[in-house]
Amino acid sequence: MTDSHLPRRTLLRYGAYGAGAAALAGTAASWDRLTGADIPGRDDGSLVVATLGSAFDPATVEALTKGFHRLHPDIPLRVNAVQAVDWSDFFAKILTQIAAGTAPDLVYVATEGVQLFAQRLGVSLDRWVRRDAAELREYFADVHPSLVESMMYEGNLYQLPMEFNAADMYLNKQVLKRAGADFPAADWSRDDFTALLRELKRGGGSHFTPYFWTNRLWGGVVPWLFANGTNLLKESKAPGGSWLWDTFYPAADRQGRGGGFRWTTPQATTDRVEEAYDYIASLVQEDLCTRPEGGNGNNLVGVFSTGHVGVTPAGGFWAGGLQQAGMRAADYDVQYFPRWRTQRHQFGAAGYALLRTSKKQEAAWEFIKYAARKDTMTRLFRTNQTTPARRSMLNAARYAASGPAHWQVFYDTLDRFPDTGPIPAPPQVAEVTDVLLKYTGTALASPRAVGPALRRMQGDLEQAMEREV
Amino acid sequence: MTNTQVPNSQVPPVRSRPATPPVAVRPSVRDRGARLVAALFLAPTVVGIVVFTVVPIIGSVVLSLFQWNVIDPPHFVGGANYRTTFTDSTVLVSFRNTLLFMVLAVALQLLIALSLALALNGRMPVWLRSVFRSAFFFPLVLSAASISVVMKYLFNQDFGVVNWLIGLVGIAPVPWLTSEHAAMATVVLVYVWQQFGFSFLLFVGGLNNIPKEIHEAAALDGATGLRKHLGITLPLLSPTLLVATVVGIINALQVFEQPYVLTDGGPGDATRTVVMVIYERAFEQLDFGEASAVGVLLFALIMAVTALQFRLSRRFVHYQ
Amino acid sequence: MSAMSQATPTLKATPTLSRVRYSLAPWARIAALAVCALLTLGPVIWTVATSLRTPAQSFDLPPQIIPTHPTTAAYHGVFQQIDVWLLALNSTLVTALIAVGQMITAGLAGYAFARLEFRFKKPLFGLVLATMMVPLQVTIVPVFLVLKTMGLTDTLLGLIIPAFPTAFGTFLMRQYFLGMPKDLGEAAMLDGAGTWRIFRSVYAPLATPGLAIVGVLAFNYHWNEFFRPLILETSSQNYTLPLGLVSLQGNLGTGSISVVLAGVVLSMLPAVAVFAVGQRPLREGITSAGVNR
Repeated sequence: MTDSHLPRRTLLRYGAYGAGAAALAGTAASWDRLTGADIPGRDDGSLVVATLGSAFDPATVEALTKGFHRLHPDIPLRVNAVQAVDWSDFFAKILTQIAAGTAPDLVYVATEGVQLFAQRLGVSLDRWVRRDAAELREYFADVHPSLVESMMYEGNLYQLPMEFNAADMYLNKQVLKRAGADFPAADWSRDDFTALLRELKRGGGSHFTPYFWTNRLWGGVVPWLFANGTNLLKESKAPGGSWLWDTFYPAADRQGRGGGFRWTTPQATTDRVEEAYDYIASLVQEDLCTRPEGGNGNNLVGVFSTGHVGVTPAGGFWAGGLQQAGMRAADYDVQYFPRWRTQRHQFGAAGYALLRTSKKQEAAWEFIKYAARKDTMTRLFRTNQTTPARRSMLNAARYAASGPAHWQVFYDTLDRFPDTGPIPAPPQVAEVTDVLLKYTGTALASPRAVGPALRRMQGDLEQAMEREV
Repeated sequence: MTNTQVPNSQVPPVRSRPATPPVAVRPSVRDRGARLVAALFLAPTVVGIVVFTVVPIIGSVVLSLFQWNVIDPPHFVGGANYRTTFTDSTVLVSFRNTLLFMVLAVALQLLIALSLALALNGRMPVWLRSVFRSAFFFPLVLSAASISVVMKYLFNQDFGVVNWLIGLVGIAPVPWLTSEHAAMATVVLVYVWQQFGFSFLLFVGGLNNIPKEIHEAAALDGATGLRKHLGITLPLLSPTLLVATVVGIINALQVFEQPYVLTDGGPGDATRTVVMVIYERAFEQLDFGEASAVGVLLFALIMAVTALQFRLSRRFVHYQ
Repeated sequence: MSAMSQATPTLKATPTLSRVRYSLAPWARIAALAVCALLTLGPVIWTVATSLRTPAQSFDLPPQIIPTHPTTAAYHGVFQQIDVWLLALNSTLVTALIAVGQMITAGLAGYAFARLEFRFKKPLFGLVLATMMVPLQVTIVPVFLVLKTMGLTDTLLGLIIPAFPTAFGTFLMRQYFLGMPKDLGEAAMLDGAGTWRIFRSVYAPLATPGLAIVGVLAFNYHWNEFFRPLILETSSQNYTLPLGLVSLQGNLGTGSISVVLAGVVLSMLPAVAVFAVGQRPLREGITSAGVNR
């Protein structure tokens, strides 16, 4: 046996040497890739901006970088597009970066994280806004005050809103036609909504569910809480902020504006909250809506565009997605969220936050201003994957190809319902979201589960809100 | 498998002096040389394990005594994290879920793998056997996260293929991912679907090693079918069963991707496993101290379960 | 010990196999196996079929396995939305280097545990095996801190180096070396060869199949790995394929299902290729691990 192995052994030996040499050579050749040294701008003193990767495709990021370089050739910029499934995943990655000591200077933060960042990591922009007020006047004139207020915390401004999404109702027009239902009016009531769902159900057949919703902080149950004139946590406004309102907004818009939102005492067991949950539970029982599946609804585009679902809450971010899925502009449309006790809508917004740990705060401010410019935002938000914060950017041309026909609804939500507010997002937002998702699932899992689930939710929320972040 | 007793056959024989030329080597130098060589062979593995496993475990234990949220420096809290852990219903539920998952998943996995391995052991063309073997092994090649994304579509209550399939035989649609009991069953199913191929191959190997003569002798004695399997095949297979069970349990206690992607621990906490809680405490709630405490508890659990298995194996496992 | 110790595991198509006669008719058994095989491969087939359709056709029931209008638009979409080549390069570098590294460490350590004599051999081997019981999530934060002191966070090396030691690989190689005849080594020793020469010239070449098993297993596991890259890599240029695929789901879930599934299929391809090539050693490796020793 040994003899027959000899020639093979020699071959194997040379083969092993060859493979070893190849491995060494390969390692040497790719050393830069292995150590990340080939990542541009790493450790070289650039201004580092972390954005949500799935929001901006590589071409957009490049356009952003080039444009900034033209304006500020002395400030090297690196945009780090962090890929993440949703905002909490994104924050986890940013925190990992901070833990590793490679914190960015600017982070693109959504409403979910505004207060957390403001409290722990952020720098308020007040002094720069005041200093460059003349430059920013045009910006503030183009942005609704509700969006700006959502980015204030305890009287200070932490971000300039770049985009937002309010939860309006998307309707599949083919499904409506199939059921012989009319497109609802702008002030349709909750009962009108229920009636519509029943109509759609009758005309729908099997494998069709009229109303689809995803269990998360934005969308989900919260719009119904808002519509019923309540909220998960008691909402109030911080004092202050007049330095901003008086400088940039006319008297009419200043009414009732303060220094940012405060979410304090949980009120999950109040009547109105229970009422809202009971309503959705009744929809579930009548088979008019889907059960609360967690996640970010990546089934949704598919089932909506194929007519398996008729109605769903979504914001301007969906128009582009539906177009990509093959839906034509005429196949769907948008209407305001139905009216219950109020017609208060909820929204989420996003903008760049400046980190306390940054050593280039002046340069970072220049980037924030650059990003807020209309031409930059036009380049950033080419596809309709979100709603731009600037009112002037919404026009018929933008939505001609993708639809919807009633595109004005996206921004008019803010104008028509001035009490429209941000999702409840205190600094303890991670735990609050976990509790909300968990107990919404339990509450709607079986009949008569609402009461007990809300009571347990209240207990957990109280615990969460007590925690020092 | 993990018989760390060195078999007698491995003890080196007493060396006789070589005939030509006599080499006078002092025994102590020889030993030291041998030990040095052995150390060099072991160095990459052992050093690596010490740096990347042993030290981190100790680090975890130390970290569990602190409170640390990454942004601010850590501060010592002693046993507070453990106290919180024992009173936190989410953590307790996650341990219950993990143990339940382990029992269901390993039992199902072994049952399916054993049945298929036995079935495959019968007569059939060689190529067909090869096709079946490849098919059953295939899911292991796939990424758990990606396949969970796919399964999430398939198990959707309203539009998924699974409910359509069972609808064909008249069963009402099951809320696979949104009902507390069904969600656990779904996570178990998806996990087992992916993992059973490993145990399956272990059993195929074990069955291959049962000499034909034993089966023939049994057939001569009149034992056929089920009786044969219970009385003869299973005991002969018991070492393999042990390996499959130990590996299966260790893996099942650490399940993460399937529940994370399919249900994110929901509905409620119904499918939240211990590993998910560790991840959430560390990276979503920024409480690295508490996350480490839960991790230390999980490690202790795994060790305890494995030790229990080996104790039981002395009674039940028969070596030839 | 086992009456059938093997020097080198080989595919058995020999008379030593016991093919049993069952009471159930062969065709019924084969039919049952076929059903199980279909159930096993079903999700994969659905994934491939759906990736070749537009999302609009993807939720039709009954599901069409053969798409009526196949289109590769989803695959184009994947390449547009993420930098597939870079992700694949990262995954390949990481997986290949880990595989090679594990072959080296497992080969050396497995030989030492099998053939060399030294103090603390038993406890050390026990320690190595015990590390299989340590969940990744328990050690990930301290490992992260260790890597941070080495300056390796957010680099591919940070994924590769901690994966060099392998408990299961060491166990496999030890089994392998234990199964080899001792007389070869003893003959070489009588010729005056030292330990290293014995290893290099006598046993290592024989161990190539076993090393292949370790390599293929390492590839299989680390190609699909999700959790460690999730925590240890933050720059998108350092993402591996499973991480990159997640981003296909889009912002707030607006990604197209076909694109997501096309991404899954793409990432499946190298793993399937390695599976096809390495199927035999992989199967043998796992089956031999189950053999009693």
